[in-house]
Amino acid sequence: MSVETRQSFGIVRMPAGFGGLLPALILIALFFVIPVLALLLRSVTEPAPGLQNYATLLYDGTYARVFFNTFLVAAVVTAVTVLVAFPVAWMLAIMPSALASIVFGVIILSMWTNLLTRTYAWMVLLQRTGVINRTLIALGIVDQPLPLINNLTGVTIGMVYIMLPFMILPLVGTLRAIDPMTLRAAALCGASPFQAFRRILLPLSLPGIAAGGLMVFVMSLGYFVTPALLGGTSNMMLAEMIAQMIQSLLNWGLGSAAAFILLVVTIALYALQLRLVGPRRMSGGN
Amino acid sequence: MTQPFLSIRNLRKAFGAITAVHDVTLDIPKGQFLTFLGPSGSGKSTTLYAIAGFQDPSSGDVQLEGKSLLAIPSHKRKIGMVFQRYTLFPHLTVAENIAFPLRVRRRPEAEVKKKVGDMLALVRLESFAARLPGALSGGQQQRVALARALAYDPPILLMDEPLSALDKKLREEIQAEIRRIHRETGVTILYVTHDQEEALHLSDRIALFRDGRIEQIGTGEDLYLRPATDFVAGFIGNSNFLAAEHLETVGGAATVRLADGSLVSGVNANGSLAPGQKTRLMIRPEALRLDRGPKTVELVVDIIDVAFYGERRRIVARTSTGQEIDIRPTFSATASHDVAPSQRQVFFDPSAAFLFPA
Repeated sequence: MSVETRQSFGIVRMPAGFGGLLPALILIALFFVIPVLALLLRSVTEPAPGLQNYATLLYDGTYARVFFNTFLVAAVVTAVTVLVAFPVAWMLAIMPSALASIVFGVIILSMWTNLLTRTYAWMVLLQRTGVINRTLIALGIVDQPLPLINNLTGVTIGMVYIMLPFMILPLVGTLRAIDPMTLRAAALCGASPFQAFRRILLPLSLPGIAAGGLMVFVMSLGYFVTPALLGGTSNMMLAEMIAQMIQSLLNWGLGSAAAFILLVVTIALYALQLRLVGPRRMSGGN
Repeated sequence: MTQPFLSIRNLRKAFGAITAVHDVTLDIPKGQFLTFLGPSGSGKSTTLYAIAGFQDPSSGDVQLEGKSLLAIPSHKRKIGMVFQRYTLFPHLTVAENIAFPLRVRRRPEAEVKKKVGDMLALVRLESFAARLPGALSGGQQQRVALARALAYDPPILLMDEPLSALDKKLREEIQAEIRRIHRETGVTILYVTHDQEEALHLSDRIALFRDGRIEQIGTGEDLYLRPATDFVAGFIGNSNFLAAEHLETVGGAATVRLADGSLVSGVNANGSLAPGQKTRLMIRPEALRLDRGPKTVELVVDIIDVAFYGERRRIVARTSTGQEIDIRPTFSATASHDVAPSQRQVFFDPSAAFLFPA
């Protein structure tokens, strides 16, 4: 099936579904589109009309560092999340469904637990005198407490933990759609388990990895609580910076510009993903 | 004695309390087309999976040229396989699918190219090389799967009901294709099916499975013309079973008394039967005829229905004890074709009838 057909179907169906969409559209217009436009307006009018806020953010070394750091954290968190989530998702995809629903329950339950509570729990675990460091010292594995908090390590651990469900859920869907017989066929073709993984399972699960990865990356870009609590001052992220600018420095112009850049980057990433693993690639057409 | 090519020794496979394969012993010469035939759950697929290495047998051995395969993982067994479901790699083109077994073996690119071309020609899909599997019909997908399984010249090809998802016409077409490929490549084929016609059509030899054991192994003709048990007779081809009392057996030829009291001598007896034992007499529908022959005996019946099927006609009759029997006389120049309304007998040659314990 071609993309064109799908799109034309969409257009044909649009008027019928439009009425149902209306409440959501009004909500989004009132509480998202209008505020974003107001934000955009502020970013080019305060303190004076012009693009100087954007120039400051993009060319001032301090702010550039925050941008770089934001992308670094988001990239590291996404990569680690993919590595941790893949085996879990694979187990979930192949285990008996009764057992899988229990594991799903545990994963969903962790999502429902308060974010702040979970992040404070990591502080207790990760700090210098925390459970992890004391255990490691008691076991004689390390002499000095490991620096697990107020740095990139702390942020990564805390955020990977929070992001895991967002990676696992789309990935399980993709992996479940892969016929296990395909892997048996690969084995009889002479593929070692590693070759079968690299040449068959991994390429077939790419749509799920891309969907989950994008979700995690975008959520990480704008994340506030966990980096604020588990990160250090030297690796501040964009959301923290925006909060500081608006709450402490009352610099609405610069804060708005930063928020708007974040939004544009997010939309650009989404568009890129649609291009790379959009419906065209997934339907297997030419 | 020469060493068998592929040998299955006392294979047994249990899943918990259920034993899927009881005790299967089988030798397969090189180049043979052997079919595992049987109803579902008879252990034929489990036996095949043990050869493929997907399931470790509970006991017994699988040997290739005298060496046990059991310790060797699937991907090192040098076995090609075509599955019941379509298992082509959906993200790879037809050519890439066929090249896959060669690529994982790191064969030189020139060799891969040549072999893919040869294989595409073998299954007659040259013009489909660049397509993705999703753009092929089911029959084409199975032909690509066949090409992929044969691409690296495995000495053994396993086929697990490869045609069961296809419609009848396509099935017959690909059966012919499989016969030709077997002829051209000389590969040893183990083929699993529950379709007796497919088994008869394709195989050099058929192993008929029942409840995890091999009921009979032999050529299609052996199984059809000389069934060892009533199960074989009932599974392969069509059969009429008449209740009969065994009177005596002399040199494999038995005398029985049928339910209507008539005596029939010279039927084939299987195994040892005691005088007076209750038995079933099996007669193929095409062994029953409408006219008297040189050695025939008669069976008194009422003819209920005559239907014309083109190449033959099918007659349903009822014996005097009320049992319906199926009669499909073959047309011949000499035999009478017509069924007179008053006709009360059909005839058969006792040497084409088989006696089994009831």
